[in-house]
Amino acid sequence: MRILGIETSCDETAAAVVDDGRRIVSNVVASQLAHQDTGGIVPEVAAREHLRALDAITQQALRDAATDLRGVDAIAATVGPGLVGCLLVGANYARGLALASGLPFVGVNHLEGHVYANWLYEGDLAPREPEIPAVVLIVSGAHSDLVLMEGHRRFRLLGRTVDDAAGEAFDKVARLLGLGFPGGPYVERAAREGDPDAYPLPRATVADRYDFSFSGLKTAVLRLVRSLEEKGRVPVADVAASFQKAITEMLAEKTARAAAEHAVDTVLLGGGVAANGPLREEIARRIGHPLRVPPPRLCTDNGAMIGAAAFFVLRHRGTEIPTAVRGDLRLA
Amino acid sequence: MALLALDTSTDWASVALYDGRAVLAEETWRAQRRHGDELFPAIERLLSSARVGLAAVDRVAVATGPGSFTGLRVAIAAAQGIARGAGASLVGVSTLDVLAYPHAPSKQRTCPLLPAGRTDWYAAFYQERNRRWLRRSPYVVATLPELCRQIGTHTLFVGELDEEAEATLRDLLGPKALFAPPASRMRRAGFLAELGWRALEAEPQTRLDEVEPIYVKQPRIGRSFDQPFAPPPADDVALGLPRRS
Ligand SMILES: [Zn+2]
Repeated sequence: MRILGIETSCDETAAAVVDDGRRIVSNVVASQLAHQDTGGIVPEVAAREHLRALDAITQQALRDAATDLRGVDAIAATVGPGLVGCLLVGANYARGLALASGLPFVGVNHLEGHVYANWLYEGDLAPREPEIPAVVLIVSGAHSDLVLMEGHRRFRLLGRTVDDAAGEAFDKVARLLGLGFPGGPYVERAAREGDPDAYPLPRATVADRYDFSFSGLKTAVLRLVRSLEEKGRVPVADVAASFQKAITEMLAEKTARAAAEHAVDTVLLGGGVAANGPLREEIARRIGHPLRVPPPRLCTDNGAMIGAAAFFVLRHRGTEIPTAVRGDLRLA
Repeated sequence: MALLALDTSTDWASVALYDGRAVLAEETWRAQRRHGDELFPAIERLLSSARVGLAAVDRVAVATGPGSFTGLRVAIAAAQGIARGAGASLVGVSTLDVLAYPHAPSKQRTCPLLPAGRTDWYAAFYQERNRRWLRRSPYVVATLPELCRQIGTHTLFVGELDEEAEATLRDLLGPKALFAPPASRMRRAGFLAELGWRALEAEPQTRLDEVEPIYVKQPRIGRSFDQPFAPPPADDVALGLPRRS
């Protein structure tokens, strides 16, 4: 089954063609550059950009797959969670395509997309599917969810952030240090030259055992940078490395603990922050075996993961397939 | 051959099907913020009540505002998808043009109004000149007093004005303020369909991504708009009734 997947929940305009929920036939992602100046995503600007780019991106994905709508079996788009104005662009465009070409429309939960990105591969050789049950950590600028995947499309939320998303913390620290947006890759690069033990930073304790909180860490970094500024020069690399170590340990500790408690071997990652190298290493170290993680460009938002998730929605549909856009949709 | 017309510019939404001579079906409803969920069921009802399959739809017209930014994008994205999927041609028509159009036979200067948040309104002025119905102003956003400062003669107001707006206009303009009956002030996609059909006859196909919302927010009416109807748009931009040639 060949699915066209469309993703517009945040600041990537993306479309892809995926076979049987796994093989990437084409995958086109346009990252909006308009937000680099503002250092954060302005929803109205993002929605405008999506509308401007989406049709061309979708045509490109079909062309790259050497197909057209007649060669596709279903059309999928993210219906949430995300910025409502942005979701509406992708969902309505995709529904229009589906209606006019007589194909089924599949509304996809963006977080399920991040999970099923772990099923994707490119080329002719299919790697083994991840084993279920699995613990899934989805960390990006918008979400920080720790989830137990008990079966296909059966998710139990173990914990989530009580304040900022992990990616937001990266963004804010990057801005504080005068680095670029989005913060994740810039902080990671700066941290390479730094000493992760240069500054002790707090690891938040949260009442609910699997919930995350990053605002305390963020405030501690702010205070640290202000006091360093008073003394003169801010050693950017050392601050970045110390921050990255702290946040990475917070995420890895809970992820590894969840895997141990539920006697689960498989740990899956998704979201932009999952592209962070030290985070992957720290989780692998704590669970005691290597992780199989999607390559960075499948961790960040893309259409292939939506095409993949849509396949599993059609195969394991328990309830009616959602079509309505919901900005606050949850995984479980 | 049929044209599908979609309009989700404001709290009110409307869809219609038109064959170049007559409106085959039309639905107008108060969608408030639910356009995204309600547009496609409405399109499906429209097609089935007109007994027209989507295969027959070879033209799509969509209202491009000004209006609610999010609302506008719902219908435009849907229209792009439908046009792409059906291989149909697509045209965008200003929501204010649609509102003014049915009042062309009145020969009154007509001013459609749509809420633009807080005390602001989207507006434009239309008038027949040399037997052509034309938009005589840019699309503007302004408060009612700012708008009325530009009005010297009798003007027919249409669009989504509530009682309070009507009272304000009467206060400001006295007998020069004319009001169409409430039902005929509303926007109906049948008129959008007619305008869209004509536009496509005149100029068949545009690129799908060229159909964009009209985002009027600045500049506000004021110094740049100190003569009543200056600067009028070029004739080929202005909305025309059928170009009798
Ligand atoms: Zn995401």
